[in-house]
Amino acid sequence: MVSQLKVGEKGKIVDISHVGHLVQRRLLDLGFTEGTEVCVKCVMPFGGPIMIESCGQCIGIRRKEADRIEVERL
Amino acid sequence: MEVALIGNPNTGKTSLFNNLTGSYEYVGNWSGVTVEKKVGLFKNNIGRLIDLPGVYTLNPLSKDEGVVTSFFLNDSVDKLLNILDASQLERNLHLTIQLLEYGRPLFIGLNMMDVAENRGIHIDVKMLSALLGVTIVPVVARSGKGCEELIQAIDTPTIEGSGKNLIYYGKEIEEAISMVEKEIHGNTKHSLRWLALQWFEGNQYVNEYLLKIAHREKLESIRHTLEIKIKQQKKGKSLASFIYLKRKEAIGKILDEAVRKSDATTPLTEKVDAIVTNRFLGMPIFLLLMYCMFMLTFDWLGTPLSDGLDHILTGPITDGFEKILSNIGASEFIHALIIHGLVAGVGGVLVFVPQIFILFFFISLLEDSGYMARVALVMDRIMESVGLNGKAFIPMMIGFGCNVPGIMAARTIETPRERLLTILLTPLMSCSARLPVYALFVGGFFIGHKALIVLSLYVLGIVVALILAKVFSSTLLKSEASLFVIELPPYRMPQFQSLWRSTWDKGKGFIRKAGTFIFAGSVFIWLLSYAGPDGLKVNMDKSYLAAIGNSIAPLLKPIGFGTWQAAASLITGFLAKESIISTMNIIYFVPKGESLQGLLAHYYTPLAAYSFMVFILLYIPCLATTATIYKETGSKKWTSFAILYALVIAYILSFVIYQGGRLFGLV
Amino acid sequence: MLVNIVIGIAIFGYASFALVKFIKKSKKGKCAACDLQKSCKSECRFPPTK
Repeated sequence: MVSQLKVGEKGKIVDISHVGHLVQRRLLDLGFTEGTEVCVKCVMPFGGPIMIESCGQCIGIRRKEADRIEVERL
Repeated sequence: MEVALIGNPNTGKTSLFNNLTGSYEYVGNWSGVTVEKKVGLFKNNIGRLIDLPGVYTLNPLSKDEGVVTSFFLNDSVDKLLNILDASQLERNLHLTIQLLEYGRPLFIGLNMMDVAENRGIHIDVKMLSALLGVTIVPVVARSGKGCEELIQAIDTPTIEGSGKNLIYYGKEIEEAISMVEKEIHGNTKHSLRWLALQWFEGNQYVNEYLLKIAHREKLESIRHTLEIKIKQQKKGKSLASFIYLKRKEAIGKILDEAVRKSDATTPLTEKVDAIVTNRFLGMPIFLLLMYCMFMLTFDWLGTPLSDGLDHILTGPITDGFEKILSNIGASEFIHALIIHGLVAGVGGVLVFVPQIFILFFFISLLEDSGYMARVALVMDRIMESVGLNGKAFIPMMIGFGCNVPGIMAARTIETPRERLLTILLTPLMSCSARLPVYALFVGGFFIGHKALIVLSLYVLGIVVALILAKVFSSTLLKSEASLFVIELPPYRMPQFQSLWRSTWDKGKGFIRKAGTFIFAGSVFIWLLSYAGPDGLKVNMDKSYLAAIGNSIAPLLKPIGFGTWQAAASLITGFLAKESIISTMNIIYFVPKGESLQGLLAHYYTPLAAYSFMVFILLYIPCLATTATIYKETGSKKWTSFAILYALVIAYILSFVIYQGGRLFGLV
Repeated sequence: MLVNIVIGIAIFGYASFALVKFIKKSKKGKCAACDLQKSCKSECRFPPTK
């Protein structure tokens, strides 16, 4: 899961099909899909959102969505 | 010739639009600055350019994206200009492919080549152009470099619809496309292939469009058969994601040939981000920035400038008018109209121009630098707990300038429920028109703590909005669905010129209003205060205005300011908040050598003054805001709700503050 | 005397004009200035979400 990565760690997305329908579409729009390499940039306190980066593109998503993105640690 | 400008969010479309048309539109650095389309004339008059909101795909999720799709379906456009962010080419090309399928002549402006080079992405423009079959012109949207070439390329005649199908979607889909094409052939002027593919992807706007021109059952059976085939063959993939993957594959091939990668340098952005979105520092940094903004506006810079203007107004300008009026032999009526009505009313508002501009400068800075999206990220946790999402904070921040564009910006919020909630709550944000009231009252009553008192009002607005969001989302607007995915653009060093332009653009409205509405309002308010049941030139306490104010004043007594003057200024405040100040300037007529602030001390106690400011902050959205709420929600019910809840909350809070304060022995 | 009447008419005339224009424009909301107003469908439709 993305949320298990620590700040600065990299991973490769394996599966995003468990993410909510709307969020999944938005992730695709932004180029985050199976096979994309991501890096966790920062984690907001109190269960706040997570900032992840891929190819120089940063996005913020909620922790509970990040929990549903399966990654493989690199 | 009509040319539509289209591209991903935050790729520099609006900057390019400004450079191609020579006009000035609002530019910001977050996704979704443009929520409506705008039209401009090309510099050399070759046609009209239409700036559309940024989208990732033609299949919309939020309402601003829907603007684009319905434009493609319902308006006629001759050529398309697609702007691409060179550093995010893969993602940008998904849109380009859909535009090519749309079948109108397409041109590409390739922006941010420098950013791409820094990231180690080297693009072979000629190769890319050949692979896509489209003219590509590298541009620098912010400085306007490459715009001449782009205009030339657009101006050269092209063969309608090159007809090159860039992507082969596989046998099953291609067959289904031909079947749909047969069904709708001759019923539409749009590309049949494009319509079919968008429909397969689940585009609701295209769905509505197709149902009007073809048989629902036939179309749906085609799609149904196709979906089953795809599911069987591709291990349960949905049709939409299958189409997406086909496109991704094709884009990958194009990029392999046209792009070379090398090592990149760590951008400054990441270093800045490490600080401003830090776990613990994020929120304090935001509050500190806000505090600095208010100190500059009310203490360090804004107030001295305003006071200077005020001295010029009450001194030389009033004297000058007096001299001219007595020279031309003006009657007493005209004399009073100009000095007590116009100079006091219009001038009284204009003296706050410096403070308004400082505030707008800061808002422009926030928008241009890329910090806005970070604020949304930092705020998301709090917003989520009240049933909103972090993105709702952006319309609210814009609402600090003016509530109307704030409400428009709510279009970028994807879920209808959160969008409605944001629209309803944005009027609680203290807009710039309320600022003169605070400036006047803090100057008179809270000299030592000006910035702090004003900051408390802004924060109060936010806190009330958050509490109400919680209340509304757990009673009236219940729903679980929430979506928060936000793009965080890289920081940009704001350019002074564009900062100044966007500050001026916002501030201009304030000055223009002073010359039109405030002028008119001042004239009529003055007339109402000059005339009464007993004729002209009555004692102001016996004027029509006093009579109107007195009818409401008793209601306001429990909250600390039950005078007809306060009541009258609140009434005019519904039309535009600025007119509260101009009304006060007229009705508390200031004798020479004194100031309105000094005079107000006879009518208000500090506690009543604070209660009054709180009431002004919350009591009602102005006429333009009300109209925008109506336009955006399309519902009379929600519009009246927005007005009523604001009145109720304002009254309750002012009551609590005033009566509570008195209990604690404050005056 | 004439000058008084001229100034009076000018001020009240302009004020009435500005007031009417302002209220009309405010009532229309933000899109009032848009060239594509007549073909713009964007204010009456939500994107249907599932």
